[in-house]
Amino acid sequence: MRETKKIFKINLTLLFVIFFNFQIFPNISNGVEPEEMLADKKMELEARIISKNIRCLVCQNQSIDESNAPLAKDLRILIRDELREGKSEEEIYKYLTDRYGDFILLKPAFNLSNILLWLLPLFFLILGLFIIWNKSRNFRNT
Amino acid sequence: MFKKKILILPVLFFILILIIFFYLLIIDRNPSEIPSALLNKKAPSFQTNRLLSDKNFNSDSELIGKVNLVNFFATWCKPCRDEHPYIQKLSNIKNIRLIGINYKDNKKKTKEWLNKFGNPYSKIAVDKNGRIAIDWGVYGIPETFIIDKNGIIKYRHVGPINKKIYKKIVLIIDNIK
Repeated sequence: MRETKKIFKINLTLLFVIFFNFQIFPNISNGVEPEEMLADKKMELEARIISKNIRCLVCQNQSIDESNAPLAKDLRILIRDELREGKSEEEIYKYLTDRYGDFILLKPAFNLSNILLWLLPLFFLILGLFIIWNKSRNFRNT
Repeated sequence: MFKKKILILPVLFFILILIIFFYLLIIDRNPSEIPSALLNKKAPSFQTNRLLSDKNFNSDSELIGKVNLVNFFATWCKPCRDEHPYIQKLSNIKNIRLIGINYKDNKKKTKEWLNKFGNPYSKIAVDKNGRIAIDWGVYGIPETFIIDKNGIIKYRHVGPINKKIYKKIVLIIDNIK
């Protein structure tokens, strides 16, 4: 009896620890390894922000900041190397999109080739509103 | 009368969208494949060591003047082993150079691998940390590029070469030679 009580107590503590770990560090799961990090805190933060917007091309639905894929690690190191060399955020994005296309950006760019994709929903919304307005006017007239 | 006819338009539109979706489902395509941003652009230049020689590999002088086939490979990559017979067949094509880029690999193991399965490459450049691959927009080896005489990338294939891709590559080389 006492034995089971003890086990129960241990389990409860374990549950407590697991639960609160998730609560305290909700965003701790990422691919960045300690040795990759830059000493310069500000630069490291910049690198984290850039890598959160770069798609891991192996897993394709994760950013390189979250991914454990070797290529994601290489890209993270590359971004940090470029920052250390004094490259700007725009230059790094350009370097990557020149090689991997716009697909590498998790937040799609607004440009000529995808302008329809951005504007068509708005067009249909306006069209729909116009039709409703038109119908209701006809309805009132009759 | 006209009003009734216009009601059929949304239905037709819906059917059209349905046909497009089914077409994209049925055709032979890989949605996870990333379109190459470097197609019809100059192959990125690099300088590195060579695997089987003490000399350096300079892409500016090597990847020009002849049609080049550039193949990223590694001994730890199983699909690279699968495509090896096709790479060997490609090396028999006259008037082209077959350049291997050994991606993040162990030199000794690569030499053993080449001794065992045969070395189809005229030169092998070493990409120790994978930087050359990133510069070329590579995201999963094996990858194969066709570079024309002027150093322009004409074709890129991601993944192992199979019979179908082999035929395609031979055709493209014939066309640009």
